[in-house]
Amino acid sequence: MIKKSYIISVVTIISFLGISATWVISKANDSIKELPAIIKKVPNFSMTSHNGTPFNQDSLKNKISILDFIFTSCPGPCPIMSSNMRTLYKQYKLHPNLQFISISVDPEYDTQDVLKLYADANGVNDDRWKFLRTDMESVKKLNREGFMFMSESLPAGHSVKFVLIDEEGNIRQYYNGTDKGSISILRNHINSFLKNFSKNA
Amino acid sequence: MQRYFQFSILSMVFTYLLIFIGGLVRVSGAGMGCPDWPRCFGRWIPPTSLSQLPDYIDPEKFNLVLAWVEYLNRLFGALVGFIILITFVLGYLHFKKSKNVLLSITAAFFLTLLEGWVGAKLVDTVLDPITITIHLLLALIIIGLIIYSSIHSYYLIVGNFEKFSNYHPHLKNVIVGILVCLFIEIIIGTEIRGGLDMSRKDNPLIESIILLKMLGPFKYIHTILGFSLLGLTLYLRKIVYNIKFKSSPFMINSINFIIILMVTQILLGESLVFFDVKPLMQLFHMWFSSLLIGLAVSVFTFWKISLEP
Repeated sequence: MIKKSYIISVVTIISFLGISATWVISKANDSIKELPAIIKKVPNFSMTSHNGTPFNQDSLKNKISILDFIFTSCPGPCPIMSSNMRTLYKQYKLHPNLQFISISVDPEYDTQDVLKLYADANGVNDDRWKFLRTDMESVKKLNREGFMFMSESLPAGHSVKFVLIDEEGNIRQYYNGTDKGSISILRNHINSFLKNFSKNA
Repeated sequence: MQRYFQFSILSMVFTYLLIFIGGLVRVSGAGMGCPDWPRCFGRWIPPTSLSQLPDYIDPEKFNLVLAWVEYLNRLFGALVGFIILITFVLGYLHFKKSKNVLLSITAAFFLTLLEGWVGAKLVDTVLDPITITIHLLLALIIIGLIIYSSIHSYYLIVGNFEKFSNYHPHLKNVIVGILVCLFIEIIIGTEIRGGLDMSRKDNPLIESIILLKMLGPFKYIHTILGFSLLGLTLYLRKIVYNIKFKSSPFMINSINFIIILMVTQILLGESLVFFDVKPLMQLFHMWFSSLLIGLAVSVFTFWKISLEP
């Protein structure tokens, strides 16, 4: 008799723990998978990549993009941002649907050759990560009106955010490109987007 | 004295619950649910909406569910710390003369403070894998110390329940061996878990079960050591079942329970490999290993008490 009640209480405790844990885990999973809402559309722009190919708003279509603003001679946050971007670039090497875009905010110094060298230094060996440039006025305008960043003190005062852009060219979320915690949330969002993407394709 | 025993049991039960909740934080990915420590988004009660976030924290980090899961762990941790503090004070009042009771609960109390500090470091380091392992190992040591202290206080209250037992000379070595192997087994387990997380980052859309198969040697060592532990415990059962040693029912029941748990662990572990890496199963796999540590410490303590007059 003692044994029977013993077994019943053990089973009850384990089931109670199991059921509550299942509830918490599924809640947590849903909340991680939840995709951020559309913030706004990226406006029209026209740039050139470090390979000399043109790049405009249509190049954002049918791909998930991670975008940031940098300049190659930047002593401050850019090396950390680029190093975090490089990690993501390596981690998602099997996913051609995900592209990385770094736009130079110092186009006078960052010529196409300089950007090419910078891309090489970051181990870019395919088409998934592009370094873009245009004239100073356009980049300021895109910064301010396209992405709602401050643009008065460019290049030094550029944002350290990574921007997640969906396959229709909509801005979905901003992440701190120098912060590990933010990047891991970005990674969760990328995973959800890529899963959706392969489902729809 | 009775009070002390009651509180030490309470400490044990709550510490086990806390280990479970800690594991839940891990499997639900809520470790960074609050990016600051000890408060959550600068608040003592985590925010329930984006508007409550302070300016200096990025709103993108906010996830209501994850914040509350992580905060539940912290609140419960504070509660457990408080219960262990009361137990420690009661121990100091009633068991000043018993080193076995007092020293172990003192150590448990100070390690609990250290555990809280390690928890804060986990948030600082954005869940550094080695710190996660230390966080778990410390919890296991604390639970072991509480159980050791609790059983000793029981012995001082009710008298020597092991006085008729006269255990096999091998028993000590076997149980110490089991404890050491259990700790090694758990460390290897955390390595497998960490390795899985790392390769999941590099291959985000590949099923976990395939990644687990790619992990290689660690996984086999984990399985082999698991079976060896079961073998060792079966040997232990054989030597305590021998009628001439007059084993206590405490001893026999604990060892039987260890065997049941070990078989469950092997089945759980292998189903993680052969079916799927389900978070709930990972959670119980971890939690049962903490129960095994507790039972092995109990067996050790029963043996130790059997040597007392």
